[in-house]
Amino acid sequence: MRPPVIVLRTDGTNCDVETAFAFELAGGAPRLVHVNRLRSGKEKLNRYKILAIPGGFSYGDDVHSGKILAVELISFLREEISGFIAGGGLVLGICNGFQVLIRTGLLPFGELGRIRTTLMVNDSARFECRWVRLRVEQSACVFTRGRAGEVVEFQVAHGEGRFFTENATLEEIEARRLVAFRYVGPDDRPAQDYPENPNGSLNAVAGLTDPSGRIMGLMPHPERNILAHHHPNWRRLRDPLSVGTAGRFIFENAVAAAKEA
Amino acid sequence: MLQEVRVGLLPRLRDARGEELLYEIRTALGIEGVEAVRTVKVYRFEGVDEQAARLLAERLLSEAVFQEYRINEPLITDADRLVEVAYRPGVMNPEAGSLMKAAADLGVKGLLAADSSMEYAFFGQLSERALETITRRLLVNETVQQVVVKRPETLLLGGEPGRTLTIPLRAMDDAGLMALAADRLFLNLEEMRLIQGHFRKLGRDPTDAEVEILAQTWSEHCVHKTFKARIIVNGQEKKPFLTRLKEATADVARGDLVLSAFVDNSGVMQFYDGWAICGKVETHNAPSAIEPYGGAATGSGGVFRDIMGTGQGAKVIASTDVFCFAPPGTPAETVPAGCLHPHYLLRRVVAGVRDYGNRMGIPTNNGSVHFHPDFRAKPSVIVGSYGLIPAEQAEKGLPRPGDKIVVAGGRTGRDGIHGATFASAAMTDRTMTVNAQAVQIGHAVEQKRMADALLIARDEGLIRAITDCGAGGFASAVGEMGAQTGARLHLDRAPLKYSGLAPWEILLSESQERMVAAVAPENVGRFMEICRDHNVEAAVLGEFTDTGRFEAYHGKEKVLDLEMEFLHHGLPQRELSCSFTAAELTEPEIPVPADWAGLCCQVLSHLNVCSKEPIVRVYDHGVQGTNALPPYGGVGGDAPNDAAILTPILGKPYGIVVSHGLNPVLNKIDAYWGGVWAATEAVANAVAVGANPRELALIDNFIWPVPEGEFLAHLDRAVDACADFSRALGLPFISGKDSLSSTYRGSGETIHIPPVLCISVLGRLPDVAKTVSADFTDKGNPLVLVGSRREEEMGGSVYYDLHGCLGRSIPRIDINRLPEVFLAVHGMITSGTVLACHDVSEGGLAAALAEMAFGGGLGAEIELPEEVRPDFFLYNETAGCFVLEMAPGADPAVLLTGVPHLLLGKTIPEPELRFSHGRRPLFTVSLQRLRAAWQRPMKEVFGA
Repeated sequence: MRPPVIVLRTDGTNCDVETAFAFELAGGAPRLVHVNRLRSGKEKLNRYKILAIPGGFSYGDDVHSGKILAVELISFLREEISGFIAGGGLVLGICNGFQVLIRTGLLPFGELGRIRTTLMVNDSARFECRWVRLRVEQSACVFTRGRAGEVVEFQVAHGEGRFFTENATLEEIEARRLVAFRYVGPDDRPAQDYPENPNGSLNAVAGLTDPSGRIMGLMPHPERNILAHHHPNWRRLRDPLSVGTAGRFIFENAVAAAKEA
Repeated sequence: MLQEVRVGLLPRLRDARGEELLYEIRTALGIEGVEAVRTVKVYRFEGVDEQAARLLAERLLSEAVFQEYRINEPLITDADRLVEVAYRPGVMNPEAGSLMKAAADLGVKGLLAADSSMEYAFFGQLSERALETITRRLLVNETVQQVVVKRPETLLLGGEPGRTLTIPLRAMDDAGLMALAADRLFLNLEEMRLIQGHFRKLGRDPTDAEVEILAQTWSEHCVHKTFKARIIVNGQEKKPFLTRLKEATADVARGDLVLSAFVDNSGVMQFYDGWAICGKVETHNAPSAIEPYGGAATGSGGVFRDIMGTGQGAKVIASTDVFCFAPPGTPAETVPAGCLHPHYLLRRVVAGVRDYGNRMGIPTNNGSVHFHPDFRAKPSVIVGSYGLIPAEQAEKGLPRPGDKIVVAGGRTGRDGIHGATFASAAMTDRTMTVNAQAVQIGHAVEQKRMADALLIARDEGLIRAITDCGAGGFASAVGEMGAQTGARLHLDRAPLKYSGLAPWEILLSESQERMVAAVAPENVGRFMEICRDHNVEAAVLGEFTDTGRFEAYHGKEKVLDLEMEFLHHGLPQRELSCSFTAAELTEPEIPVPADWAGLCCQVLSHLNVCSKEPIVRVYDHGVQGTNALPPYGGVGGDAPNDAAILTPILGKPYGIVVSHGLNPVLNKIDAYWGGVWAATEAVANAVAVGANPRELALIDNFIWPVPEGEFLAHLDRAVDACADFSRALGLPFISGKDSLSSTYRGSGETIHIPPVLCISVLGRLPDVAKTVSADFTDKGNPLVLVGSRREEEMGGSVYYDLHGCLGRSIPRIDINRLPEVFLAVHGMITSGTVLACHDVSEGGLAAALAEMAFGGGLGAEIELPEEVRPDFFLYNETAGCFVLEMAPGADPAVLLTGVPHLLLGKTIPEPELRFSHGRRPLFTVSLQRLRAAWQRPMKEVFGA
């Protein structure tokens, strides 16, 4: 059976269709659902196994990126989301979706309503779209299961992606192994410098998991690297299928984990 | 009392936005003395108390992990200068809606209005004059923004609704008519007399709404008087321009490809599996000249709505941007009065296109920037958009009498009134002040949610016809949709941003992000429900009728009652005559260069050749997951490709190809050959990536000085070039646009902006796997130049420009030989014998080779034939020529039998370009040196 995936959309969401397609390809049964339908009760989260919050500019990224949607989710869907997570539901946030998860407090500590980390304006002070190298980190994250140590290439496209928090919190994140992805340089080591680290994120953090491993968010776009012609240099790659579709495992792992749950 | 909340970064944190501004103060303005800049966001709320403001500050506006806030007091107290910049009252701040929504979500009651603005804190020594320069040049565009000097008392805009006035037109003399026309209607005396005559016949005076709608409908911007006019050249009558393009398209008879040409908001061609693709390219020159950010953003927004308003509604899948500016280093004193500096224009136009496209989720994948000093009076801002639609819903819809007129999207305000008539007028040094209200900022998310809703309504079959509210607002949208039937509008039913609008203003308002649909009465309920579900405001404004009249009411008062026939056909065909004489130009004597490597670097760092990557990087080109060929690729991700390829149906191999061509400076020599060059370049760019030259459609954009005298004669030749090209290549035109007001008339100075013809190409290909990029793939592979050219045709080249010359010997491309070249290149790409391909354009063969080498991290060894002049050989810019990297073992002589070609040399592992002339070494230059020269100019402008 294909596990049902809710791809949440709202005003300004714009990576919903390709995110749904990525889940479709991975064996899920995605459905695009406007947040208004959750608010009105016409749709229930508990009908689904995976909640995906895709990229875009939800509500124009007004005030802070992802903030207005985060406030909406905390204000109206707090119990529903808590219940969904307690029931084994998986949550994936990509780019703007990651910003939403950070601003709800769900990442990195799974504390709905308590915000201890943030994503700031890029060090370059501008939106940028480029391909970056990422290392999959050792963590409890089910989305990256079996991939620790691998280096993948995804595209980033954002203006507010600089991960920031206080030192003590950063240490806690590292100690609890909540980093799912890091930006790396050509030597596969974490990069602090532009453009390998495209936004100036502390400890080169590109993606985070919660302690349970069932909530993950990342700034880069894995759904933009799932087809043979997605990688910018697929024509010159010796093995385009392995490099050029490297984003698939995230969705495949999610679907596999949803089937187990 | 208003509550004010100020939010800033914790003092110990870097302020990236402040540092960016500081960089600009130092580099763009050359002002020293400022040591630091910090930014503070200011929010204002009306109708709530301080406790509510505190709740908003803590739960919505600030995050304690990196920010701090103050309520009703300053946040930064130790700055040497503070400047707060806000939108002017009446300019819609897109953030206000989100503030209202989030406050409601948080349970805040009683909030009447919200606003946000930016406060800049300057630290260091800064004179009053320097501060004013910073404020004026970098912080505020006075068209839409202002410095806040005193705390506002209210955010609410009020006003009594304006009344409808009767204009005593019948009794006016010519002076009276022209006084009415000046600055308001932009019609000429003959047209004013025609309107006067009409109302004398009716025996009544017109309302202001009637005069306004006639001026709008008859404006050059909307009716394209010139393109439909009878044209007499050197005493001989020729067919109207538009007729020539349409006849060429009819002659090439591509009914298998074209679904809709010149009739809808975009042109439509067949795709695969029951889908169609469509394209439209627009200009937004005049608004961008006075408010570049808003002008460019709303230009993108408008052309996206053209796609959304095609057939029963298409999905927007791509955005393109093509700009022409004066060089960013233009001395400020040579910028004409009333015009903005090109450095500022360039950066703000890019920001406008960036923010609209990125926010709406439209990948921007193709574009270019051209520079010439004569664009200092007015830039050319060309924005394109492409869409995907089921073929069976691709035909332009026609409303039926009884269908409801439904408006969806943004509210109507006083924005952009007179945009259509203003766009048709030449710029003057009064333009900046008199026409300030003709531009606005965009609200991309408003449009995105509307697009989401409309696509659902389309899929449910609820839309009979749809169009966007562009220039001319409801007047234009409803007037055009109901031209065959009739329409009755109730203007008081339109959702308004604020009270106080006169009926004619509601009718003519060009507020962005609005679409008008014809919806059958039985479908209105469901249509409105879909809109509500997506937070899209919609209202039924009236209905289409069978009266053949355009009627509008405000309450019970009838403010408009005109026959559609007079509105749309009352304007007689113009007759325009001109005589053509070739420009008197001379050919320069260029000495043979001494420093060959230095020259090569100079060519690569010419503004029309240099890398535009810093611009491309701020556009999201991967959104929608469709990209199959990025604008920049290769080993370092910094080498340009010739066209965009997208796979709009995820999971299918079908590609759409988007490319374009233009070279304005050539039109100063000869608009016919300049036009041929533009069209050839556009098609060559598509062919270079693997497109089939028989599966393409063309879109024209003419941006011309006011078409009088010689400029009309040049325009005539450019149109002939398009028609000839269309027939020679067998390719149809499916859409086009002309903007004929590129003339600046200041006090004592007239500047004719260089004529621009931009040809855009939309194509399809069955399998994106059979396409190539421009980066060299491996060492030791043969390099071949394909295409015919005469090297001495150097007129208008970058090489000549470096010597300060224009020249006369423009490339005269043999269009009848192009098909065999294009087909040969296409065949070899499809069969896999071409590994990399790049077309030759500005900067010539040398620039093409360098860009291919950057992409491959490989060099090239090139042997120039003994008999050629090396500088002309390397820097000739004849379009329709290609550099091919062939597969090992492929024999060009066999594969290219009968097609003009030349074996140039081969790829080499060393990162350098090596040239020899015959057997003698000419020069060698490292890729590192070339790349640095090529990347420097835009890095300097954009601080990348």
